[in-house]
Amino acid sequence: MTYYLVVFAAGFAGSFHCIGMCGGFACALGRDQRGAGATVLRHLLYNSGRLTTYCFLGALGGALGQAICTREGAALTPLNGSLDAAERVLAVVAGLLMIGMALQFFGLLRTFQRLTVGFGSSTFALALRSLVTTGHPAAPLALGVFNGFLPCPLVYAFAAEAASTFQALPGLLTMASFGLGTFPAMLIMGGVGRALAPAWRQRGVWLAGSCILVLGIITLGRGLLPFGAHVSHGLLTGHPA
Amino acid sequence: MTASNRSLCRHCLLPVGPRALEQTVHGERCTFCCYGCSIAFQVKNGKTEEWEAAWLLIRLGVGGFLSMNIMLFSLLIYGGVFTGADARLLPYIDILLLVLATPAVVILGGPFLRETLAEAVRGHLTPSALIVLGVGAAYVYSTIAVIEKNAQVYFDTATMVLMLFTLGRYLEAAGRARAARDLEPLLAVDRENVTVVENGLEISRPMREIEAGTLVRVRPGERIAVDGVIVEGVSHADEAVITGESRPVEKVTGSAVIAGSINLEGPLLIRSSGSGTETRWAQICRSVREALTRRSPILRLADRAVAAAVPGVLILAALTVAYWAQWLPLDRAMLMGVAVLVVACPCAVGLAAPLATSLGIGRLARHGCLVRDAGTLEELARVRLLAFDKTGTLTLGKARVVAIESEGIATTEVLAIAAGLERHSEHGLGCAVVRAAADRGIETMVAREVCAVPGRGIVGQFDCGLVAAGNVALMRDLSFEVAPGLAECGRRAEANGYSVIYVGWNGQARATISLDDVPVPEARATIEALRARGLRMAVLTGDLGPAAQRIGAALRIDDVCAGLTPEDKLAALERHRRSRDVVAMVGDGLNDGPVLAEADVGIAVGTATDLARETASVVLPVGGLWLLPWIVDVARTVHSTVRTNLLWAFGYNLVALTLAALGMLQPIIAAAVMAGSSILVILNSLRLERLPDVASQLPQRSLHEETARSALSAPVALGAPAEQG
Repeated sequence: MTYYLVVFAAGFAGSFHCIGMCGGFACALGRDQRGAGATVLRHLLYNSGRLTTYCFLGALGGALGQAICTREGAALTPLNGSLDAAERVLAVVAGLLMIGMALQFFGLLRTFQRLTVGFGSSTFALALRSLVTTGHPAAPLALGVFNGFLPCPLVYAFAAEAASTFQALPGLLTMASFGLGTFPAMLIMGGVGRALAPAWRQRGVWLAGSCILVLGIITLGRGLLPFGAHVSHGLLTGHPA
Repeated sequence: MTASNRSLCRHCLLPVGPRALEQTVHGERCTFCCYGCSIAFQVKNGKTEEWEAAWLLIRLGVGGFLSMNIMLFSLLIYGGVFTGADARLLPYIDILLLVLATPAVVILGGPFLRETLAEAVRGHLTPSALIVLGVGAAYVYSTIAVIEKNAQVYFDTATMVLMLFTLGRYLEAAGRARAARDLEPLLAVDRENVTVVENGLEISRPMREIEAGTLVRVRPGERIAVDGVIVEGVSHADEAVITGESRPVEKVTGSAVIAGSINLEGPLLIRSSGSGTETRWAQICRSVREALTRRSPILRLADRAVAAAVPGVLILAALTVAYWAQWLPLDRAMLMGVAVLVVACPCAVGLAAPLATSLGIGRLARHGCLVRDAGTLEELARVRLLAFDKTGTLTLGKARVVAIESEGIATTEVLAIAAGLERHSEHGLGCAVVRAAADRGIETMVAREVCAVPGRGIVGQFDCGLVAAGNVALMRDLSFEVAPGLAECGRRAEANGYSVIYVGWNGQARATISLDDVPVPEARATIEALRARGLRMAVLTGDLGPAAQRIGAALRIDDVCAGLTPEDKLAALERHRRSRDVVAMVGDGLNDGPVLAEADVGIAVGTATDLARETASVVLPVGGLWLLPWIVDVARTVHSTVRTNLLWAFGYNLVALTLAALGMLQPIIAAAVMAGSSILVILNSLRLERLPDVASQLPQRSLHEETARSALSAPVALGAPAEQG
């Protein structure tokens, strides 16, 4: 459970980072003239669209990890059993990816950032903006779904983490925890998000970076240390076996 | 061909082909080549108040939401989450999947089903029928399985295949639009409006209303829409699309401007010299549009292959199911059949040729080279021999003084007298004499009572008496005595293909001036560059043998056939074609029309007569001979790209089809790799964007020009008269 709480915290802290791009969409969705209920429904739809995409990516990542690492007949014991070579390689790759993402949250590794975010202001994102203002009741859902796929270092980092769980369900839960973590900030984005002082936003970003860094180091450790799995198991008790 | 068949897709500007999709966007009837293009166009141009535009994107989003949820649960089921005690949840999850899948199949599959039905009514079987059948089978089977509470459902297959195909089509559309970016200014010309100045007011008017004398305002960065003269303003213009040169040309008040060029800096006010739709630019645009809508032979072949493949694939899928049903449960056998249907969908085949060809045609058109149709590029890539006409193609068709023979009189004196007389002549040879005197800095003498004698020459009074310049008949008419040495000299020069002017005064012919045609400055460099590309060259000309031989020697072309009538040229071309397979003819003259039409690729140079332009399949801009090697490069690259694309697309389909029939491919994976295959074809085609531009060859060109000029002038000017003397 602790594990998912850490992911949730990282998602929560990281969501202050989202104010730039995703927050823009959330703000643009704004209020529904038909009342508070309709406004909440609109934002819930948007966020469930986003959450679905995250969960899908998580489950897909986990399933891919599983597909790569499954040995015939061997029962999978991802975080508290011993890992085979393929699992270790995957853990190392995912760990390095996460550490890379974390470093850029601290303003390091600029090229990495360009690679991941440079795509963001593409025409697709611009086209999505036009979607925001249509009155169609399903538009926020569609917006959320596409929004989830927009290139974002946070999402990449946690998708890599999900893949390193080597199973669909933990992968899904990892991304779900992350997605739920971003819920509060994104829900209130229309209201207080913009009013938040830049200094606080910066602190949130650093906190998110720290969480991702810790998770990345643990994932890397699982791949490198002789009894890596046990180490991580000790650190994050409660992860489903 | 129906009318829509000939039009271009509103989004990607490629021909819509036989399966056009018509939709109303912003109240305007638009034709699209595929579902992907219609989504992409509406996403790009959709106004938010437009219900239809956003609805497509919403549809994709909602479809994505539903299919991702289905996939999520399916992954959990495959991952073994619902085993043991949790297995009792499975029937409920199956019902949930049915609830999610039904709207997803309707939303995402609708366009595919509509396309299939519309074509089925017309008696055609399209590739989308494969998707409809595959997805339909998976969906219907799964629904029955849910009702009968069977263990296995395949809603994930049904929805994810649809999702991936829709996504693939969207990405395709984006790639196509990018490939046609070069063509956009060419194809948008019909819709263009021009800013017209009337009574001091600026009004926007459609192109077709522009007449001679209309004042047109062109802002910096805009394309100049009319031919005309600058009334006000100073700027530079980029005339690459007309002349092939991308160097900016200075424009001041009084300068002529060409439609299609781009005004680079200052605002200009232009007085139009003719109708807006009759400019060369408008002709280029029309011809490019026509070129795009003609399907090349390789494309027609691909179309036929696809059309023939669809029923074959249906049979193969049925056989696969029938075979595997003997050994495996029906649902597994069906899944293999679905995989066969999905991987056989030849999306990439349809993309293979049009993308690359339109990139090639667009690139050439930007430098003023027109290609009549897509097949021409393929032929040009296969050309082994280029036959050139001489006059007007390899040579400028303008005379130049190459030798002066006299009986003890200084060359300068002969030129001073002859030029004094010829100044009053408008004949081409006369102009050449005046130019020769001017080039040498010789001051011409003043003539009085000058009189042209038609068909003979020109006579006038000088201080030294009556002077005549013309042919030998003129000398005879005036009873001027021609010394035997001089007469022999003139006869020899004429026999060698030179034009000869006799100059005489005081009752005696004093000198002969020999004139010859000037080779195009860049001809030598062009021929060398073509030779470096492994091409053979030949000259087919109606001129006299010696003149043709001289050009052949100067340009190092061995294969020279002279004194040919148009019929002889055809015969010579046929002979070359027998030995070299694919032959191109480069020419300009009226008499080149038939041979340009007969050659595999007829190339007309810019100064060409209308007939030559009409019959040629490639038209170069004025003075655009130097572009030939580059055009061959473009054609070859396009050709090899199309070939690689087709090879990849067909090869991939065959390999994947085999794997699917053997039951080694999951339908979802098949759909994913299918979309990947389309993207690979697009990326491979977009590599053509990186083709070296002709501009990068410009500095080289001017260098070549200089060397060519000096190399050419030496043997012709000095060598020839020495022989005669």
